[in-house]
Amino acid sequence: MTPKQFENDHSPTWQRLEGMIEQVEKGKPVPNVDELPTLFRQICHDLSLAQHRMFGRVLVERLNALAISGFRVLERRSSGGWERLWQMMMQDFPRAVRAESRLFWFCSVVFWLPFLAFVIITPFDPQWTMSMLGTEGMMSMEGMYGEGTNPREFMREEYGSDFGMFAFYIWNNVSINLRTFAGGLLGGVGSLVILLFNGAHIGAATAYVNHACNPQTFYCFVVGHGAPELLGIVISGTAGMRLGLSLVKPGSYDRKTALVLGGRKAMTLITGAALMTAFAAILEGFWSATPMEPWIKYTFGACMWAATICYLVFCGRERHEA
Amino acid sequence: MPTALADTLESVELADGVQIHLRVAGPAARSVAWLIDVLIFVAVIFIVSLAINLLSDLLIGEQVGQGLLLLAMFLLNWFYNVFFEMSGKAATPGQRHMGLKVVSVSGGPVRLPQSMIRNILRVVDFMPGAYLFGLTCCLCTSRFQRLGDLVADTVVVYVDKPQHEKAAMKVNADPLPPPLPLNREEQAAMLQFLERSPRWSDARKMELSDVLEPLTKRRGMGGLLDTVRMALWLQAGGGGRGR
Repeated sequence: MTPKQFENDHSPTWQRLEGMIEQVEKGKPVPNVDELPTLFRQICHDLSLAQHRMFGRVLVERLNALAISGFRVLERRSSGGWERLWQMMMQDFPRAVRAESRLFWFCSVVFWLPFLAFVIITPFDPQWTMSMLGTEGMMSMEGMYGEGTNPREFMREEYGSDFGMFAFYIWNNVSINLRTFAGGLLGGVGSLVILLFNGAHIGAATAYVNHACNPQTFYCFVVGHGAPELLGIVISGTAGMRLGLSLVKPGSYDRKTALVLGGRKAMTLITGAALMTAFAAILEGFWSATPMEPWIKYTFGACMWAATICYLVFCGRERHEA
Repeated sequence: MPTALADTLESVELADGVQIHLRVAGPAARSVAWLIDVLIFVAVIFIVSLAINLLSDLLIGEQVGQGLLLLAMFLLNWFYNVFFEMSGKAATPGQRHMGLKVVSVSGGPVRLPQSMIRNILRVVDFMPGAYLFGLTCCLCTSRFQRLGDLVADTVVVYVDKPQHEKAAMKVNADPLPPPLPLNREEQAAMLQFLERSPRWSDARKMELSDVLEPLTKRRGMGGLLDTVRMALWLQAGGGGRGR
């Protein structure tokens, strides 16, 4: 059979598939669409034949392109939308955190150690804290939590409105989460550095408020959104470490496969962490700064911590997991 | 290191048992696409801030406008590429201009988690500046993947088929079918030999065709003639003796 004959015999099938793919990609309802897999398999067969019989580049390339687009259409899946997201947040994410509990605790230590170091050392030697925050940092801490001021007025001055504050926290905090995760690709070093630095910075800020400002205002402000925000950054670090460890310690896989598999696990973690931080930003923007009796703030804060921890520990748990 | 290849086609075997060939795009085309995207990015930020300025004077107040701008910056910064890669074309405007698109290494369409991973990890590829890590990684992997591509298991490929130049010189010889099936790389090498050989000396041509002695069973001028005849047979589309 010459290539010409081959082309003449089969091109009606090819044209049908070409037309069908075009229609499907436009999202129109296509008659006889259930024939698509059969047609696709026929094309695959023709392509193999043409390759084997060396029917020339033009023909092989046409069939190659057709097989690629057919494969693309057949493999197309919807991402599942909101339902999938809900399932991820209610099941996959808390499970993923529990599955990486050792890494999670490791990252928690990396984050909280510098925090505690600053808080403990400052009453004896405030120099470290002051140099960590710098002049501007100290001024803004005093502006927010000093005597006779409150965070709302200060942040309003900076960012205009509650919505402005919320937008700032999304832009700043979620970006930090994503960067913490990305830094993990450098063998985990990037994530650790960002975790250490953020722990140190937040620790210094807390210590400085204890030392020089009005702690009551500060704790009332942070207690509400602290749980999702701080756990969010630690889980981002965990995601980064998962990625870094697949590179450093690939186990029984080769490095590339380990990276791809680790990346999938880490993706669940970072998506959840980013959503937790976004949730914290809503609280921080619209709740934390509203003036209210301290006991209300503390009660709400305690509930948030309890709820966040319960969410991570119990949500999506299966019977055999316990 | 893999041996030097005749082209950048990446062969993938589908579950249906057939091999397809993806034409992987190199760093040069991708850099140009990136530059175009940066320009669009800057233009969009500029237009959005103008629009918000206008709106905030009229409707929403300056403070809310400021917040909207920050949110827009956040979304554009992290999700500009994801948005376009999840569209039907699987390419950003810059990539579309260069005729590129993003696909899974398996040849299938890129999925949302993959797209998000490869774009979040862009931060690392950019380090320590001007995509140095990404470029190094591209040049070290056979499929021109940057770090984000490696983790997400994606490649950037050309959309349309390459245009082939016909040989400029007419060669007077009868086409000859090769004694055994040649794979795609071997065919490509034969065709390129036919296209380029008019520019070489006879000695050089024979030196190269002598490599094919196992195929032609001849050396020197005879081997060269047979090589050219087989290449002609391939060029004519195989199967029949000329068209």
